[in-house]
Amino acid sequence: MRDWDEGKEDRDESLRRLREALSQSRSDLSRSWAIYRRSLLAMLGLFMVISVSLVAIFAEYIAVEHPYRNLLDTEDKWSIDYEPRRAEPFSEECDWHEQKITTNPNSPLFSEIVVAESDDKVGDDSRFYRDTLSVIQIIKLEDFQGYDLNSSLISINSSNSSLLVLSPELYGNTSLYSGVWVTYEFDNEAMHHWWLPDGYDVCIFGTNDQGHDMFSKVVYGAKVSLKIGITVATLTVIIGTIVGSISGYFGGRVDEVIMRICDIFFAVPGLILAMAFVAAMNQITSLTIPIWLGILFPIFVLAAFSNTYLSSTVSDDDQVSEQVMSLLMRYRGVLLALFSFFFFMGWMPGASWPDFFEISESRGWRAFAALGILAVLGAIIIADRRFFLNTSFEGGLDRIKDSFDWTNPWRYLTFRTLAVFVSLALLFSFSGNEGEEIVLIKDFDRLWKVQAALIFTGWPGYARLIRGQVLYVKEMTFVEAARSVGARPGRIMFRHILPNAWAPLLVAFTLDIGGTILSASGLSFLGLGADAYTAEWGLMISESRRYFLLSPHLMLYPGLAIAVTVLGFNLLGDGIRDVVDPKNRR
Amino acid sequence: MKLHEFVVRRLLLLIPVMIGVAIFTFAIAHIIPGDPAAIQCGDKCGLVVDYTEDGEPITAYEENRIRLKMDDPVLVQFDRYIRDLAAGDWGESLLYHRPVVDVVKDAAPITLEMSFLALFIAYPLGIFLGIVSAVRQDRMFDHISRFFAIAFVSLPIFWFAMMLQLFLATGTENGGICDPIFGTEGGCFPIYGRHDPSFTYPEDGYAWFYPAGGTGFHLVDSWFVTDDKLTSLPEEFGSNWLLFKDTLLHLALPCAALGIASAGSLLRYMRASLLEVLNEDYVRTARAKGLSEWRVVIVHACRNALIPIVTILGFSIGGAIGGAVLTETVFAFNGMGRVAVTSIQYLDFVVIMGVTLITSVIFLLSNLIVDITYAIIDPRVRLE
Repeated sequence: MRDWDEGKEDRDESLRRLREALSQSRSDLSRSWAIYRRSLLAMLGLFMVISVSLVAIFAEYIAVEHPYRNLLDTEDKWSIDYEPRRAEPFSEECDWHEQKITTNPNSPLFSEIVVAESDDKVGDDSRFYRDTLSVIQIIKLEDFQGYDLNSSLISINSSNSSLLVLSPELYGNTSLYSGVWVTYEFDNEAMHHWWLPDGYDVCIFGTNDQGHDMFSKVVYGAKVSLKIGITVATLTVIIGTIVGSISGYFGGRVDEVIMRICDIFFAVPGLILAMAFVAAMNQITSLTIPIWLGILFPIFVLAAFSNTYLSSTVSDDDQVSEQVMSLLMRYRGVLLALFSFFFFMGWMPGASWPDFFEISESRGWRAFAALGILAVLGAIIIADRRFFLNTSFEGGLDRIKDSFDWTNPWRYLTFRTLAVFVSLALLFSFSGNEGEEIVLIKDFDRLWKVQAALIFTGWPGYARLIRGQVLYVKEMTFVEAARSVGARPGRIMFRHILPNAWAPLLVAFTLDIGGTILSASGLSFLGLGADAYTAEWGLMISESRRYFLLSPHLMLYPGLAIAVTVLGFNLLGDGIRDVVDPKNRR
Repeated sequence: MKLHEFVVRRLLLLIPVMIGVAIFTFAIAHIIPGDPAAIQCGDKCGLVVDYTEDGEPITAYEENRIRLKMDDPVLVQFDRYIRDLAAGDWGESLLYHRPVVDVVKDAAPITLEMSFLALFIAYPLGIFLGIVSAVRQDRMFDHISRFFAIAFVSLPIFWFAMMLQLFLATGTENGGICDPIFGTEGGCFPIYGRHDPSFTYPEDGYAWFYPAGGTGFHLVDSWFVTDDKLTSLPEEFGSNWLLFKDTLLHLALPCAALGIASAGSLLRYMRASLLEVLNEDYVRTARAKGLSEWRVVIVHACRNALIPIVTILGFSIGGAIGGAVLTETVFAFNGMGRVAVTSIQYLDFVVIMGVTLITSVIFLLSNLIVDITYAIIDPRVRLE
């Protein structure tokens, strides 16, 4: 009890300091916000980004119809029909439907009473959708060559509004035997959506030549574009940071080689490179890697890390295993956060991410996991230098057991471990399991290919950016101080350099989301992006190119959507740049 | 380091990059699915075209494989590819049935003419607006011009090009916003192509006009058509000036579409660069001497503020060639971008290799020139 009272002042003091530190960090954030808020343009950008994200998240509730309506088999929730031709925004033609009617009495298809039904179909006949419509009025009647007929030749059945009754003049006239086209207005209850004001049960962006509601497609396009933008930007940042920090920190020949590779990437225009890359991946339907590669790759990565440790600390041989510490253990929080982020991303924009998680169901993955566990155990047993030093077997198993450092198994990942793994993995790959593959992405569709191509072309920019930052920060006194007290490269890199180099990275990341959306839509526009009929903005513009002089609204709204989204991210990035600029932080 | 040492060093650094690009294009061409031997013979692959010495039949497909030497090991093929490149033999296009060198030679001037003209417009515009924006920092003009600068960078270039066609080009029925402004009827700029459709070169025309082949830049070539040849043309193209005007009008919209993003980013760079310089001591000295504000900005500050802008030129040329892919597709120019798109769509990998190589050569050379210029105007660079 006496001890407790004695230390009270010290405890109070440390508590006070902690509070102060906490309040300072809070004020730091609020100061950033205050700087950000000063700029009207930045606030506008934030508003745009938030609205587009909300639209993307709640697309199902905002959109009137599903963009793949025609491509899927009949499901009640998408059973809405439009007149399958281009209609102007807000025009009453949105509720019109054109139907072909057989007027030859000798035809087996002929009937005096015709059911008004949609003939909406796209692609092959197996994906076919048809729905009965309730007719309000007949708009016009045309013969097969497009000449107008008297529309009173067809009437609506008084008891059932979805039945059309043909008059005898219509099917008694041999000149009309090739059929007629009737255009009628139908009751489009489903078009009236909860967010539309009364009386506005029309398509506000018009419909395209497939009869799809453009508004719904644009809304769903936000999902696709944001997913592409965020996924590609995140992955390029990760790859670029790793490569760039290696290049900048170690310098010398490593730097030279990496920078020359980046030069090659810069020399070829990104769009042409991405196009070629998409074309090169044309026949890949699912992204798989052979099991031996799946085993070797993480091992190589880990070995590369432990390798750097060895080379930097090789002077004191006995200290090696002490000094080989775990990056992964230390940054497991970061890894967990990254994983959660991707998991969240997979949940939000739908579509392709869930495929990524189906790997757990493939047998290859299970074999891979089992082997990974075996490999780590093997590493612990074989790679411990004390195991080799103490092989006199006096004291038996206990002695071996004592020599393990169970708290940090990662430190056993060294050159020798690598050698053991390579032989193990090669052994495994030749033991009759060649057919087994780890499926990374089951449905490697065109969207995936676009993303892969943009990651492939995008990382050198980040690598160069981070390299420059690392070179700059590396020379600062605090890094020198860290080095002089014997901190290892990994610690200096992650603890001292990268935290001081993240500001331009954050700006570049934000701007790159916009840039990626632009490139992806450009690829789609050229026909090398998303699959046909996908709700992708660039593709929508490309599909409506044929009609753009007649129906400019078909390309107007997707283009505006791209412009607004990209502008939002660019303004956001500019605002963040102002915030992280030391000149503004006085 | 002396200037010539710097230049030599930069030239030597180009060599590994060029070899890397060659490896790169070769690798891509070999990854791309599709058998060039099968593409070349189409549906006649099974036809027997020849017999071996032993009397074994050789089909068209096999003959193609032998002719293209596709059965060699990849390294041997790569060795041959590099040798052929150096010798100027870039292979023959599977799609156009012409040597790739000829395809590129026809296409490259079109893209370059458009890109250069676009940058020629974008640079003065962006720099001028950037200066005004920096001088009037945080005033209304600054805010507006910065917003538009970011907005123009954010526009999808193909969409903006189509919007230009819609509002400014002929043949759109409404004539867009062009008619009320310029008093024209039915728009004021041609909607696509490099020439008026009523104007076609006579039989084998281009070579006839320019016996030496011309430069390929129609803006230049149009001034070198001799009078006797001009008389054979329709009335409205009867003089060098009219030919030039026709080309220029056709280039107006593509260049606007291509240049607007460059102008936007230049404005931002110029503004930032000038703002930095305006805080320097020597600018304060100049002001203290009582010089007029414009003289301080233009003569004293801009000189140093323009130095970093030079470096962007190299990247804007690369960006313009990349953007040309989209612009040429919209405006139906048969430049390198369109050739690249077509060759990728039809898997004509010989042309893909050629176009990728030539664009990277153009990019690298322009960057080299930019770097040398930079070293001349800013001697500090050479010290590194």
